[in-house]
Amino acid sequence: MAETGRLTRAAAGPALSPVTLLRAAIILSALAVWELLSHSGWLYRDVVPSLLSILRALIALLTSPSYYFNLGVTAAEIATALAIGGLSGVAVGILLGANRFLSKAFESYIYYLGPTPKIIFFPVMIMWFGVGPESKVALGTLSCFFPVALSVAAGMRGIDKVLIRVGESFRAGPWQMVVKIYLPAMRHPIINGIRLGLGVALIGTLLAETKLSNKGIGFLIINAYSTFDMPRMYALLIVLFVLAIGANALVGRLGGLDSIKRI
Amino acid sequence: MPAAGSPSDDAILVVDDIVVRYETAEGPITAVDDVSFKVRPGEFLSVIGPSGCGKSTLFNVIGGLLSHHQGVVSVAGETISGPHQSIGMVFQEESTFPWRTVIDNVAFPLELVGMARAKRAERAHYFIALVGLAGFENRYPGELSGGMRQRVSLARTLASEPKILLMDEPFAALDEQTRLLLGDKVLQIQQQLKQTTLLITHNITEAVQMSDRILVMTYRPGKTKRIVDIDLPRPRTSEVVSSVAFGRYVAEIWSDLREEASRGMQDEESYVLHHDGTAS
Ligand SMILES: Nc1ncnc2c1ncn2[C@@H]1O[C@H](COP(=O)(O)OP(=O)(O)O)[C@@H](O)[C@H]1O
Ligand SMILES: [Mg+2]
Repeated sequence: MAETGRLTRAAAGPALSPVTLLRAAIILSALAVWELLSHSGWLYRDVVPSLLSILRALIALLTSPSYYFNLGVTAAEIATALAIGGLSGVAVGILLGANRFLSKAFESYIYYLGPTPKIIFFPVMIMWFGVGPESKVALGTLSCFFPVALSVAAGMRGIDKVLIRVGESFRAGPWQMVVKIYLPAMRHPIINGIRLGLGVALIGTLLAETKLSNKGIGFLIINAYSTFDMPRMYALLIVLFVLAIGANALVGRLGGLDSIKRI
Repeated sequence: MPAAGSPSDDAILVVDDIVVRYETAEGPITAVDDVSFKVRPGEFLSVIGPSGCGKSTLFNVIGGLLSHHQGVVSVAGETISGPHQSIGMVFQEESTFPWRTVIDNVAFPLELVGMARAKRAERAHYFIALVGLAGFENRYPGELSGGMRQRVSLARTLASEPKILLMDEPFAALDEQTRLLLGDKVLQIQQQLKQTTLLITHNITEAVQMSDRILVMTYRPGKTKRIVDIDLPRPRTSEVVSSVAFGRYVAEIWSDLREEASRGMQDEESYVLHHDGTAS
């Protein structure tokens, strides 16, 4: 779709292409239907609030300090989860990839645990770490760990063996081997694993926040829901949507990161 | 050459009675059997043999990357038990680091020993220029041709200033013209640095062109068939190829090698036939 859109536009010059027009029409009609619904009185009270009230809630949200505080909490949770889960994933991935015995013993567990929805461990996390941000970090870490570990283990086995022999022939120590050969040789699988890891850490953390929490964006959403402040809830969802797109684009950039080449 | 004592006294590399066996699905095979030789300082020795005769195995033993062998390899009187700083290896396969620029590739061994950044850049520049790659310092290997990448590998190994340069078919993957020119380059560098060199190859022309002596290996088990002295004047270039003496050496070594190579081919053919038979 996007490809055709770009092609058509390139051919037709700066004029609006049919695809762009169609897209705009879809958005406009969705908004119109939404607005009609909100005024129709068919649905219970504020389930579909008017666009104007959502806009007002959005402005109120973006100007309130509490929003930024909670956004900071969630961002810190995700960043911490990514750091812990990512680093331990890389470390475990290297061990599994380097050692046939360990890989035989443990890798199948990781394969089976990998796709399990980590939210089922949330009650355990609550018991261990409480209702604060710690239990969210724990869940985010758990989500992030598996894709990173699996990706790195596969990457480790994919390293060109001759590069390892070059390192050995120059008598590189174990730490030098890891830092100067294994890690840079695995830059693509590592970045890929971290991309997947960030995605699931985001989901895990927010999901946990909406289940049981006292801070964070997920908490604000569920709070707006339980006080039936629908305009505010939609405003939060919009903000979250935009942030998720932004985070995705940021990590997408990582894929082509040149500086990784020069570790 | 100082004529001090017996030949073993002035040998820098001694390879003594090396035997290597591999366990395979078809049972144990002896890849290298009882190979012994000595290399004098500044000498260019080639080991030649048909594909599969155990050359790379021998290369790995001398480089200290293989440890399940019998026999002893010693450098300047010291028995090696693993990669030794006096031996620099150039591998048969593509072995540059794709994530490092040319200069960072060449500086790699210097980085490992903790040489200061400015000094190692200077050293790396010297060896990059030596292999004829000045101006390509900041390129990545992916932007270079195969021959240039192989020169980067050579410069990287030379940068570690090994007493013995050990190369396993470094030109095997290159086209004929590149191979000849690169051979010239290696010869020129070897003569300029008086670099003791052990070249492993299956190419007779290459071996005769560069070597002082050539060790011919047999096929399965890999034994020493003969050691040939190449008495061609130095300094040499690839032009030596057109001399009469050169042709005589090539013919002589080919007659030794042909027998081994055809045994190797028969072996491979019977392997394929046998395995087709059992598979159907
Ligand atoms: N790791 C190994 N395990 C089993 N057999 C091997 C191994 N490496 C080499 N060989 C066998 O040993 C013989 C010699 O191999 P190699 O040293 O690579 O020969 P060359 O370099 O002369 O082609 C070959 O028959 C090869 O199949
Ligand atoms: Mg070989």
